[in-house]
Amino acid sequence: MSILISPSVPDITPADPPLPSKGRRYRRILWYVFAAWLISGIYIVQTDQQALVTQWGRVVEPRVFPGIHYALPWPIDTVYKLKVRELRRRVIGGDIPDTVLGRTQAATSEFFSGDQNLLNIRVVVQYSVSNPRDFLFQAQDADRIVALAVESELVRRVAHTTVDDILTTQKLAIQGDVLRAAQTIIDGYRTGALLSSINIESVSPPPETAEAFRSVAGARSDAFRIVNEADGYANDLLPRARGEADQLIDQAHSYSDGKINRAAGDASRFAAVAAEYNKVPQVTSTRVYLEAMEAILPKLKKLIVDVNSNLDLSMIGRQENSAPAATPDGASQR
Amino acid sequence: MTSTKKFLVAALFGVLLASLSLYTVSETQFALITQFGRPVRTVTQAGLHGKWFFQTTQLFDKRLRIYNPAPSEFLTRDKKNLVIENYVAWRIEDPNRFVQTVGDVPSAEMRLHDIIWSGLSASFGNEDLDALVSTDRDKLQSTSILDSITATSDRAALEQYGLSIVDVRIKRLNLPEQNKQNVFARMRAERGRIAMQYRAEGEEQALAIRANADRQKEGILSTAYKEAETIRGKGDAEATRIYGEAYSKNPQFYKLTRTLESYKKILDDKTTIILSSDSDLLKILTKGQAAAK
Repeated sequence: MSILISPSVPDITPADPPLPSKGRRYRRILWYVFAAWLISGIYIVQTDQQALVTQWGRVVEPRVFPGIHYALPWPIDTVYKLKVRELRRRVIGGDIPDTVLGRTQAATSEFFSGDQNLLNIRVVVQYSVSNPRDFLFQAQDADRIVALAVESELVRRVAHTTVDDILTTQKLAIQGDVLRAAQTIIDGYRTGALLSSINIESVSPPPETAEAFRSVAGARSDAFRIVNEADGYANDLLPRARGEADQLIDQAHSYSDGKINRAAGDASRFAAVAAEYNKVPQVTSTRVYLEAMEAILPKLKKLIVDVNSNLDLSMIGRQENSAPAATPDGASQR
Repeated sequence: MTSTKKFLVAALFGVLLASLSLYTVSETQFALITQFGRPVRTVTQAGLHGKWFFQTTQLFDKRLRIYNPAPSEFLTRDKKNLVIENYVAWRIEDPNRFVQTVGDVPSAEMRLHDIIWSGLSASFGNEDLDALVSTDRDKLQSTSILDSITATSDRAALEQYGLSIVDVRIKRLNLPEQNKQNVFARMRAERGRIAMQYRAEGEEQALAIRANADRQKEGILSTAYKEAETIRGKGDAEATRIYGEAYSKNPQFYKLTRTLESYKKILDDKTTIILSSDSDLLKILTKGQAAAK
């Protein structure tokens, strides 16, 4: 900064031999120019912006909110306007798809996981300006620094996480951890940026191993299927068993009830007959005996032997081959 | 000379003097004031400042800069090769020293590279791969390694070159291209093992479910059997009690009727019976009327 020029100077220098009237005209022009220069200090901050004013390079107004304002004109004051609420977006680990360049698949970068697997990860970072002064003056390229801080934290976080966790359950946790840790770093650099989100857009194994990863997914679904089948087996078996059990118990009940009813029937029949027997025991027993003989004897082969004869009966038993050679009650009495 | 002319000359002279003795320093800059080549002072405060017209100012950007060179290969203590991309956040801290020893940014970056990268390769060479890449958080040393490198190289850089090293961090951690194929092979093998494990665990679970179901079934059925037999037993006992109660009132008659009933079952058409002519049944047949008494 070597020459301090007020806008009037170039107008004055060529004026060499001025006529009095000419000089007055020059002077009037000079005042107009001066007025215009003063008016040029008016500026407007739009609703989505904040402004910052420096005077001779030094910050005098760190935050100017939307509205119409005045600052001393160039070269004294400089007004910087910044869209503070706007979310700025950075892609880490590869670029987003670019149809102009004919790249439909987004590029990704390799990360090294805690169990020494390589993974392709792409992350989208969004941040806004929290402190315009720091954002403008603290770093040469605040935007790049934000991306680097996030990327280095992502590398560190991935380096102590297993590949399975990254691919499945830990994604949200990683996003949260990286956001917090990267914000700490950014605050340490005083770059005036506030991270609003870190989003892992894609995680995929390298193409060389994709097939193997797919087979794991296949194995997992196989395992689910096998377990489901076993559940199906159990769900089929147990109701059947319960039904069978109910049946067993019902059968036992019916057996038992039948047994008891029959006994009661038999008992009451016996009691009735016995009551009659008791009235005339001799006659009834004879009658019952004879009735039974009538029922039994006609079917049998009979041999009537005289009490006093002396016969060898052993032959008959052998010839007839009759198993239980029983004798009725009366016959046994010799 | 008219008064206007006098005024103009005075103004011109004033502007010239101002341009020689006034200078501005912005928020992003340091100014170094030199007098015939000899540095006299450093201005860190932004704003409008004055100097003698024979002094010259040199401005330096004091903002945080990023040095992010191409990745380099490091060898860990357990002889593993790693390709690590680092970045360094740095700034000019002492412009006087900076201008005397380094001069410009590219050579400053060269100096930084010398200081930091020798520290990095020494530190990484003292650690196993676990210190950088591990699922066990306790083994991880990367943060402390980099912090100590930042601290020591910051001291050296400030002393020697007037530079401040704010941070040294790992931007990317990878393997050399020639090692990747091995890793891919290992990853594939690992996946194969995991796939087998999933299947085996599925089988295990399924077998357990089936066995459990079978066991439950057996339990249900045997419990039911037990209950059923108990019920039957009670029935039998009750029936026996009823019989006993009824028959005990007239045991003689019971014996008679029950024995006769047994005969009906025991004696069939294959049976030959030898009857004595003297028996009660035939006595009347053989001995006549008198036997009936």
